[in-house]
Amino acid sequence: MKKIYLYYLSSLMLFPILAQSQVKSKLWYDGNARVMYNRDALEGTLKETDTVSTRSNGGGFTILDLGFHFTPVDDIEIFSEVRLKNDFGGMWGNKSFVELRRLSAKGVVNKKISFSVGDIYLKQTKFTLYNYEQELSEYEPSVFKFYRDFVNYENYYQSNYWRLQGVQTNFSYNMYNFIEQLDFDGFTARIRGLEWMGKPELLMLGGSAVVKLSNKINLGSHYVNTFEILSSSNGTVAYYNPVLNTQLSYSGSLKDIPYKMLLEGGFSKRGWDGDSLAPEIKGYFTKASIHSKSKKGEINLGFRYVDTDFRSIGAQTRRIDYNTATTSYPYYSNNYMQRKVSLLDVMSDPNVYNQNLSTSLMNYNPMYSCVSPYGDATPNRIGITAEVDNFNLTDYLSVKVQAQYFSEIIGQGTTNKRSFNKSALHSLLSLDKLLSLKNSFDLEGSINLETVKRDGEDFEKIDFNSILYSGSISYELIKNLKIIAGAKVFYAEGNEFIAERDMYDQINDYSNNTYDSKETILIGGIQHHFTDDIYFTMQYNQFNVLDKTNTYDEFSMGRLIFMFNMNL
Amino acid sequence: MKNLKFLLLALPFFFTSCEKDKIEGPSLNNLYGELTILDSLNVVGDGADFSVGENIYFTASFSKQVDWQVKIKGLNSGSVKIISGKSNAINQSNSTWDGGSTYLPFFIAEDCEVELTFEMHDDTSYNQLNIQGEKEYNDESTVLITDFENGFNPNFTGFFQAGCTKALTIGGAGQGINFLQQFGTCPWDWLIGYIDYSSTFWFDQQGLVNDPSQVYFNIMINGDSTMSQVSNVPNSLFKLEFYEDENGDGYYDANTEDRYDYEFDVDWNGWRMVSFCYNDVEKLVLATSGGNAVRNPSKISNVRTLLLANPDSGPAKADVDFLIWSIGKPLLN
Repeated sequence: MKKIYLYYLSSLMLFPILAQSQVKSKLWYDGNARVMYNRDALEGTLKETDTVSTRSNGGGFTILDLGFHFTPVDDIEIFSEVRLKNDFGGMWGNKSFVELRRLSAKGVVNKKISFSVGDIYLKQTKFTLYNYEQELSEYEPSVFKFYRDFVNYENYYQSNYWRLQGVQTNFSYNMYNFIEQLDFDGFTARIRGLEWMGKPELLMLGGSAVVKLSNKINLGSHYVNTFEILSSSNGTVAYYNPVLNTQLSYSGSLKDIPYKMLLEGGFSKRGWDGDSLAPEIKGYFTKASIHSKSKKGEINLGFRYVDTDFRSIGAQTRRIDYNTATTSYPYYSNNYMQRKVSLLDVMSDPNVYNQNLSTSLMNYNPMYSCVSPYGDATPNRIGITAEVDNFNLTDYLSVKVQAQYFSEIIGQGTTNKRSFNKSALHSLLSLDKLLSLKNSFDLEGSINLETVKRDGEDFEKIDFNSILYSGSISYELIKNLKIIAGAKVFYAEGNEFIAERDMYDQINDYSNNTYDSKETILIGGIQHHFTDDIYFTMQYNQFNVLDKTNTYDEFSMGRLIFMFNMNL
Repeated sequence: MKNLKFLLLALPFFFTSCEKDKIEGPSLNNLYGELTILDSLNVVGDGADFSVGENIYFTASFSKQVDWQVKIKGLNSGSVKIISGKSNAINQSNSTWDGGSTYLPFFIAEDCEVELTFEMHDDTSYNQLNIQGEKEYNDESTVLITDFENGFNPNFTGFFQAGCTKALTIGGAGQGINFLQQFGTCPWDWLIGYIDYSSTFWFDQQGLVNDPSQVYFNIMINGDSTMSQVSNVPNSLFKLEFYEDENGDGYYDANTEDRYDYEFDVDWNGWRMVSFCYNDVEKLVLATSGGNAVRNPSKISNVRTLLLANPDSGPAKADVDFLIWSIGKPLLN
């Protein structure tokens, strides 16, 4: 009896809390706050010889991206993100900015059909719509991650999604006969708006239908069509690029080891209506892969064929735009030479990145990415891939390995074809576990190697290789406060032909480039994590870019950087 | 069933097993490859008689597509013919020669040297050929005004300033043997002299077609590229006036009929053929009270050639030879 009274009393006391938990808040917040300050200074011989550039320059800002989520009714959520930015050095509101960073709404119709409008993040397959990672970011030691997070955040890169503006909807049906489930997804996005006396509007229309035949077999079809609306301009030419991708996946197990097989293929067409000089090209691709995951790690084997004429605006747009000017020392030396985008900018400069889909193949620098500059959708490739991920050799040592071998399908300018090799290795050694230390003590190392070769006559031979050694060490001095140090050393040597393309992406010439370059990045400092998402770091970085072909002067720079990051 | 699943994985290999043998983009060999002459320059049809329509062509082959040029030079006349192309082989389709000239004078029956050169490459090949009979330019598709071979027709009237020269000269002609020398200095007038070539006395009396886009006027002019000391522009100005007898009364009436002009600086040394389409004459002089303002080549009654020069700038010179109309294309195509 006494127990019953106690129950009643407890229920009475907890009632307000229980009641509160049932009422959904109408407005809630999230966002990101960042404070960053850096000072860059010339170093090395450049400091003495360059009498034109400033000895040092610096800057900083405080950013607060405040996201408001408003739910007027249960099935609707309106989201806006407002950026408050204050550049260091401003006063009384000078150099203070308020801008709308994101505005969208999403909801569910009759608890069945969900939709999103406004700024939406879209991804389909690796051949239709996919935002591939920037070059040389794979297997990057974790001490460099804060730079990459910064770059990706500033450019709206979330995983491999492209941030677009439009409408998206999806719904699914559960069935209980031959087909278990049907999933549909459709979207339309406006890639390019109206331009005064310029190009027509560019729209993207896409859809996916995935049929789950059983727990083991899925059949999916994905379609994206990007096209210009001719009537939206005074021109007579309209671009179009439909891409179709069909996937068949099978999940099973072999001797109690689960695996998943994926078979996919598709077609693309790209042309310009109304332009008699523009060729209409059609290309196709096919890919097969098998993936298996066990307690020890994951393994992935694949084969890929991408036709020379395969074109997909959504999958072949690159993140880095090598035509942009760098933020730090865009010009240097007494010759006032423009500094080309190098590894330090790839790693740390958000302004060399691109946020818009490109209707033609973007330029790339073979030094940093020559095997798959357009990701899996790189045209004119046939080859195999193998990857071992998160392979735990012991409880304190894990490795990741990948190897790729590709060849051109048809040669560029010659019947001899290039052969490509890409290998990468990453290892993480947890010294704290090995030495039974209380505080975390991690040692990371990775190697990324790319080679290109082509046989033949002297005028067509290619022999190029690039290698990036990366390493880092982080030691937890006191709880959550780490001393960190990292290094990247990059070498590129040999020659490679860069195809020069006309406005229709057709090759009209080549430039045979010779490389003999060494780039070094050294970082050292401290990093304190309040939580996983709230941390600050203070570091000294040293960058050196040495072009031994003497095409460009040596560039050396030091950087003192402080960054505070908080994900609300 | 188990094997079938793995066979599915192999499916892409079957799709992609077809080899493509074409190349993407322009050939690297053509752009950067070494040039090797695989088959040396050969003359086919040596000893041709161009006057009866015979041709000569050349053969050669190379290791790459290349810009080539065959230069034929007459050892006696000094005439030059240039044939050029871009290919990895020279053959009948791209090198047939009918005996015509690129640079005057015309070829005669003579021996010629042949030189094959390449753009961006130092390689050169040589050969020789012989011309048995020179090309006849005056045929059914031309209307010859005069070539001065029978002397200067006294019915071609005109006027030359005192002290200025108009003289039939033998030797050193652009075509044949004779040509008309015209030169002089006139310190009081722009006009050195003019000659009227009345259609009544043209060598060929068949009429011209009336489509101005099909009618080309050709004239050989021998200049000395004298530069004016005053204006630093070529001293000799050559003008052509075409008079149309639109009403067919045998006279040109400036008040009721059209006249078309074409003028140019003589800024070169030696003989050169000047050709232009009657449709492209630069200046149209309309009659003050009449004229149909339509180019009617069939109604041309007179062609006047004028040698002009700035009176302050010194001597002028423009010898002429082989005044001829051609139908459908310029005489030296």
